Amino acid sequence: MPQSSNPAIPLRKFGRADVQISALGFGGHHLGGAPDEKTAVEMVQQAVDGGITFFDNCWEYRRGKTEIWMGAGLKGRRDKVFLMTKTCPHGRDAGLALSMLNESLRRLQTDHLDLWQVHGMAFDNDPALFIRPNGAAEALEKAKKDGKVRFVGFTGHHHAKVHLGMLETGFPFDAVQMPLNAFDANFKSFEKQVLPELNRRGIAALGMKPFNGHGEAIEDGVVTAEEALRYAMSLPVATTITGMDSLEVLHQNLQIAQNFKPFSESEMQELRDRCKQDASDGRYELYKLSLKFDNPEARLAHHFPLDTEQSEVKDMLGAPQNTGHPFPEKQF
Amino acid sequence: MTEFFEWNRRRFIKSAAFVGAAPLVYGGNMAQRQTISSQRDLQGQVPRKPLGRTGVQVSAMGLGGYHLGSAETDQAANEIVAKAIDYGVNFFDNAWEYHDGLSEERLGKALRGKRDRAIVMTKVCTHGREKKIAMRMLEESLRRLQTDHLDVWQIHEVVYENDPDLIFAPNGAAEALLAAKQQGKVRFIGFTGHKDPEIHLKMLSHDFPFDTIQMPLNCCDATFRSFETQVLPEANQRGLAALGMKSLGGSGELVKFGAITAEQGLRYAMSLPVATTISGIDGMQVLDQNLRVAVNFQPLDASQMQGLRDQCRQVAADGHLELFKMTTKYDGKVGREQHHFPTVEQLPL
Repeated sequence: MPQSSNPAIPLRKFGRADVQISALGFGGHHLGGAPDEKTAVEMVQQAVDGGITFFDNCWEYRRGKTEIWMGAGLKGRRDKVFLMTKTCPHGRDAGLALSMLNESLRRLQTDHLDLWQVHGMAFDNDPALFIRPNGAAEALEKAKKDGKVRFVGFTGHHHAKVHLGMLETGFPFDAVQMPLNAFDANFKSFEKQVLPELNRRGIAALGMKPFNGHGEAIEDGVVTAEEALRYAMSLPVATTITGMDSLEVLHQNLQIAQNFKPFSESEMQELRDRCKQDASDGRYELYKLSLKFDNPEARLAHHFPLDTEQSEVKDMLGAPQNTGHPFPEKQF
Repeated sequence: MTEFFEWNRRRFIKSAAFVGAAPLVYGGNMAQRQTISSQRDLQGQVPRKPLGRTGVQVSAMGLGGYHLGSAETDQAANEIVAKAIDYGVNFFDNAWEYHDGLSEERLGKALRGKRDRAIVMTKVCTHGREKKIAMRMLEESLRRLQTDHLDVWQIHEVVYENDPDLIFAPNGAAEALLAAKQQGKVRFIGFTGHKDPEIHLKMLSHDFPFDTIQMPLNCCDATFRSFETQVLPEANQRGLAALGMKSLGGSGELVKFGAITAEQGLRYAMSLPVATTISGIDGMQVLDQNLRVAVNFQPLDASQMQGLRDQCRQVAADGHLELFKMTTKYDGKVGREQHHFPTVEQLPL
């Protein structure tokens, strides 16, 4: 892979801040799907050298493995990147969120994050739990004041109304992450309902799931990988985060991003129209629909029932750490 | 997602939100204790309410057509309808596609000689197809229901994001509703759906002269993707007759989980500003249980309503008790076929 080839990934402004980030972001979850730590480290290094500066991660991804691997990959390159991870209190207290922050910093081998987000706002009562006294909002505020994080935000893939509910809390978010792809445009759309609001407020919009999570629509031949990624990157977002679990996928994405030319509005509309019929029942965006795509840690923390036939739930209940309940359970 | 863990349910019931909740009863248990068939203490009638601006009065509880097709025998269905009428129920729901026509046939037989005492509604199932198919379905429904006209004819299962576009396309189902009304084959028209308040609002945005609008209304809906807060006020403001359904979650889910009792659920739904609450009844025990609430019905007051909303708020927030709003599992087979969507079985839900 020729790293220092001429084309570079475009940089974009991070909301209102005087900071630039790469238009393609490196998703943390899939990094844990790399065959081994050595490959993961190589992927992170090549990504940085290929022009990616935005790195995504999360305290609860793969029980901590992805933060550890990313930390190893960023050794010596930390100052070249804009590093984000997420905290996972799922409605529980600020203290829990902050203890997760310390753990994330240790695993990522750094003394600060560029962006720290509350992970997985999914349920209709999440905004209320976030903003309550001693909720995660207070943790974000404190971490920022203590200089451990530069910017704060939240993420979620479930429902635009939950995102709007978070914005309605009035908390001063710097960034908001959401699924954005050509299917979303016609199905319970974040693009239509949330993105304009973020742009209006000057909040950095972070897109994710340009390939619908696992490339389902590409496999079915509805869109090509290039169309999908170009669509997402052509929206008014600061970056598009996508998961990569092999050097091959990394190279493919670098190739698209380094040669990125935004679609025209008519090309965007053509793609939306092509996907409209297939988008209408939501089957390409099951993360917006099915409880099976809920994060089991979040369900546990909210006292929602779990489906123990699910492999993710079995994993969680059998894991020795990051199990979703290493901390006293919050009573509501 | 069908199998939720028993320990979770128990855990939830024990949790703080549920201290003091009423004892849990559902279906058989409740009916055994409270059957009224051999008792004389239930006297009176289910009250009537105006069906929007139509000038017609309907019973505050309506008999759901789907479950009529689930009743064990034709005879059982007959008895349910007869007894419901005796207690003042006059609103009868159905749909062209319920049980491949069995529900309509059973209602037609049960209403023989009683047609003039009933407000008969059924639904057309074009699922995006053209007017001509809708008109053919209407004739079939009339034949099965053994009548020459319907009181209410609704577009069934408006649940996909592109449904409003398809329904209001030239030569679509909306034109069929108007034609049928002009021909005198149906008195009033409307639509129904269980999925998303936004889709209902998109339907209303066409300013089409609907008379009725059907939607899920229950204690969980009040705080989760709520038809009650988003669609019901709009329906009332426009003078449409609101028809509530799924007062217990569709198949008693709210009760089985322990969030509310059947009585609380039905009372809540019937106390909303709706013309009627359609309740699926597949046996005499369930009918008795519902009549016990509906006969001489007195609505809950505002603070009792709020109490039930608060009681369900936490458990409503992920939607697992209202899966019809979430997954494709509750989408009808014919509708998915007509939209060229894969079948429910083909989807990894």
